[in-house]
Amino acid sequence: MSTNLIILGVIVIALILMYNSLVSKKNQVQNIFAGVDAQLKKRYDLIPNLVATVSKYMEHEKSLFTEVTKLRAEANRPNISDEHKIALDAKVSSALGSIMVAVENYPELKANENVMHLQASLNEVEEQISAARRAYNQAVTDYNNAIEMFPTNFMANAMNYIKKDVFQITENERKNVNVKELFNS
Amino acid sequence: MKSLSELTDFYYKVLFAALKKLEKDRKQLQYRLIVVAILFTLFTFALYSFVFSMMGSSSDIMMFFAFGYFALGAIIYKMLIKDYTKEFKEKVIHPLIKELDSNLNYESKQHLSQKYFRDSKLFNSTIDRYSGNDFVHGEIDDIHIEFSDIHAEKRHKSSKGKDNWSTVFQGLFIVADFHKHFSGSTVVLPDSAQSTFGDLIGGWLQSKNASREELVKMDHPEFEKEFVVYASDQIEARYILSHSLMQKLLVFKKRSKHPLHISFVGQSINLAIEYNKDLFEPSVFRSLLDYKIAMEYVQTLHLCIGIVEELKLNQKLWSKQ
Repeated sequence: MSTNLIILGVIVIALILMYNSLVSKKNQVQNIFAGVDAQLKKRYDLIPNLVATVSKYMEHEKSLFTEVTKLRAEANRPNISDEHKIALDAKVSSALGSIMVAVENYPELKANENVMHLQASLNEVEEQISAARRAYNQAVTDYNNAIEMFPTNFMANAMNYIKKDVFQITENERKNVNVKELFNS
Repeated sequence: MKSLSELTDFYYKVLFAALKKLEKDRKQLQYRLIVVAILFTLFTFALYSFVFSMMGSSSDIMMFFAFGYFALGAIIYKMLIKDYTKEFKEKVIHPLIKELDSNLNYESKQHLSQKYFRDSKLFNSTIDRYSGNDFVHGEIDDIHIEFSDIHAEKRHKSSKGKDNWSTVFQGLFIVADFHKHFSGSTVVLPDSAQSTFGDLIGGWLQSKNASREELVKMDHPEFEKEFVVYASDQIEARYILSHSLMQKLLVFKKRSKHPLHISFVGQSINLAIEYNKDLFEPSVFRSLLDYKIAMEYVQTLHLCIGIVEELKLNQKLWSKQ
């Protein structure tokens, strides 16, 4: 009788530990996503300023500005899902990247103090977003591992936890600088 | 900054005259030390025989003599090499530092303030005795840097009520301005648990370290294998430890060849390199012109002063312009 009770007790404790660890992993993901979101918002806040400063000089790149403004409006809509935010982040990163590359073609813009300041703020935010993305990816990996690994996978199934997406690191970020190519171009 | 080979050249060419003179002093000192050691040993032995004949054998008396012999011997040794040490630091270490960067100041008897040591959050245990020497401070490319030899110890009470001292840290402690803004603290320590117990159990042990803040798993396998990171903020830790900085710290660790503790607190980066001995002391029983001895001084100084360039601390980021 007493052995049965002990076994039952061990099982209950194991279940509680598994349940708690899953919940804490899920909360960690949410917590860090809030951090990512705060950084993303900072970058969205820079966009109107950037557009106002540079768009009048850059007539040929009108389409880029419309796109960025559109993306910003989309991101500012209430109640968009985390997956959607992740997808938008990738698009905004590439659009802003293109604008910054285009700025290089306008010497008077490059020397403009306002633009330089904006560029600096943008770089800083990008750096912070990159750190937040890496933190988020780690939290999601821990969470996904727990969901897929034995024995927590049964518990996760019962709790209806599903796998989450990580931020894709864009090809440009991952690629190492090829010095040889730089000299050839 | 001067390269390592340029500095070695400087040691053997410019400092040659000074080294020659020191070498002469060293030989005399060596001779004197041996004579004093023999006399001192004979004297102790004679005194012991006298006490022995008066009071008979007892383990307490033997212990007392052994202890006295070593303690007094150490004091006599320190006294004898004092002038030679002073001369060496003035004529060799000081010029080497000036040669590396003329903006740096050197004070052979001072050490880094204990406040920095405490604030670094690198060592959690209480420090009851804090000493050091060879204090270097100044600005390199507008980056403030300070370092010195540090010996931090903790007191234990033995069962008999005697004090025992154990070393918490001995080696070089470097503090420099860091080029990014942050508000929390991030601590990078040598990874002992994971290498001893493997990934699974070691990782679990690390996450349960109650004396530290949150465990941060880094996305750099090699770095993760060498170090363990604890921080107050997951995102901030990754903001500080970018991939390129992790890579540079790994290179620095390999070059220093000693356990490395790093922390980012306040506005600065703190590096503690565990040598477990007092550095920049003159060699007494081996020639100062010996390549291996010379390289120890030259390399260590080059490593410390080089961190500003090595870790690119002088490339101020946008936020700190």
